[in-house]
Formats: sequence, C-alpha cells, structure tokens
Amino acid sequence: MADQLLEQAREVVDGQIDFHGQRLAELLATVLLSVVGAVSFLVGYALQDIELALKIGLGGTALTFLAIVPPWPFYNQHPVQWLPVGGPSISSSHQDIIVDEKMLAA
Amino acid sequence: MYNSLTRLQNVFGFFTTVAFVVAAIIAASDFAVPRTPSASLRTTNVQVVKGRPHYYSSKKEEYAIIRFSLDADLSSLFTWNTKQLFVYVTAEWSTADSIATQNQTNKAVIWDAIITSPSSDHLARIGPATLKKLRKSAAGKSVDPNRGKLSLKNQRPKYQITHPSGKLANTDDVTLRVHYNVQPWVGALTWNQDTTFALWQKMSQGVSKVFALPAVKKKDEAKAKGR
Repeated sequence: MADQLLEQAREVVDGQIDFHGQRLAELLATVLLSVVGAVSFLVGYALQDIELALKIGLGGTALTFLAIVPPWPFYNQHPVQWLPVGGPSISSSHQDIIVDEKMLAA
Repeated sequence: MYNSLTRLQNVFGFFTTVAFVVAAIIAASDFAVPRTPSASLRTTNVQVVKGRPHYYSSKKEEYAIIRFSLDADLSSLFTWNTKQLFVYVTAEWSTADSIATQNQTNKAVIWDAIITSPSSDHLARIGPATLKKLRKSAAGKSVDPNRGKLSLKNQRPKYQITHPSGKLANTDDVTLRVHYNVQPWVGALTWNQDTTFALWQKMSQGVSKVFALPAVKKKDEAKAKGR
C-alpha cells in the first residue's frame, strides 16, 4: 500500500511527458525567455528605469518556470503507443536467429 | 526535458544566458549616451602644521590641510545604468630632491564623496529622514538631472596629507585635481578619461592652478601679526 502511494508520489514529482510535449516544452522555454529578456530591456530603456527591467525579467522568468516545469496535460497529448509484450504474435517460430552464418533454433 | 527536474535545469540554464546577454546590452547602451563633465577647482586656504595627523601617529610630523572650492557638473555621467558616482580630489606634486627621487609623482586624496543615483538611494549611508528628503528631491524620476552638480565653497578636506619623510613644508608645484569613478549596475567601472572617446568627452578643466605648500604654521607668528 505504501508502495503504491510512493509510486504515485514519484510520478507526480517525476513529471514525465511524451516526446511531442518535450519538443513543445523546449520551444516554449526558448521563446518565452527570449521574449522576456527583450521586453525587460526595451521597457527599461524606454522608461530609463533599471529596477523595472529587473522586475520584468525576474517575473517573466518565474512565469516561464510555472509554464514549463510542471507536467501540464497539454504536454501529454501524444503518449507513446507501445506494442504489446512478446511481439505482434505469441509464437516466434518464424523468427530465425542467425549468428556467425549459422542458423540457430529460435 | 523528459522529467520535471531536467526541465527545471534547462530553463534555469537558458535564463542565466538571457540574463547575461541582457546585462551586456544594458552595459553597452551606456556608450550611446554622451558624457560632458566639467569642473573648476581652486584652493582657498593652505596650511602646513607640525603635529600628529592621525590618532595612530606615533611621532610629530608635518601635515598639510588644503581647503578648496569646487564647482562641478557631473550630471551627464548619470544614466539609467549608473548606480553611484565616486568623486575625489587629489593633491599632486613631484619630488626631485636627488637622482633617486626624480620623476616621483606624489598623489594624495584629500576629499571624496559618493553620489548615489535615485535607484540606489536606499544604499546610501544616511538616516531615514535624510533618505526621505533625498527621494523627494529626485521627484520619482529614475535619472535625476540634479545629481552630480557640486558646489563646494571653502570645503574642509577629509584627509590630511603627510609624506613618508615627515617633511612637507615649502613644497612647490602642487596642484589639485578632481577625478570621478562611474560605478554602474551592470558593466565595467570607468574613470575620468585623459582623451575623448566617441561620445565620452574628457573633463574640461578640473585641475587647479599651481600652488605651493607654505612653511609650517607657528602659533607665535599668528600672534605677532596681531590678527
């Protein structure tokens, strides 16, 4: 029972996402942080206020963390379709294994 | 990016890169702002006294007290990236008593001050009442055009000048010079320049006329003059 709880906890902390989600996460992180950096400089320069630039930068980064790190559902829209255990058919008699040019029984 | 920890690490890594690049661009933006510092400096009262200049001095030596007046406009040195400006006045003279001391330039700081920009007023060494006044004077602006305008009249020096030999009286060819050091929030430290570089001009004037350190002040002399 404790094992099951632990497994659930591990899943939450682990936060695994599928491959499409990983690509999306990477793209989103790059775009969001670049935009945050650009905006923080441009607004700070326009208003000549470096404190504001710092606040925008740190705030935007915090938002980015919030958007990327937790395993949100939209990162798991394309789960991997694993094949059934044992191969497409149970009997593997017609799968010949060839080692050193000698055919071995399967 | 397959689990939360790796996503955290990757986002943080890119964040440090972005922060560094933005800081570099902010530091570079300072070069687009012209610097036009100007100052005029003159001595008002020069004395040489024989005594103990510091509380830790073990024997009596000659030390100089140089009072001066300074009018400076260093406000163009303040940008949004300026944290504070360090201004200091030095007295310079060269000794050429013997072959060994030829070409030696003596430089000693007699006065300095830190001028904070509004973004760093909370760091200045002042009490809450003065801080409030200072903040009000900036009137909410992040770059205050009045910071950096100095008008000191007959300013008492902060530091006395001594010489390792213990003798300072009757030294000729002494000049006062004012320097500044711009300390930015991000970027390199810069000092007053000897030459003009693009939009940054070297300080106009900023050096006093040549003067001499007088003989040691004697108490009897003052009485004898009947002042």
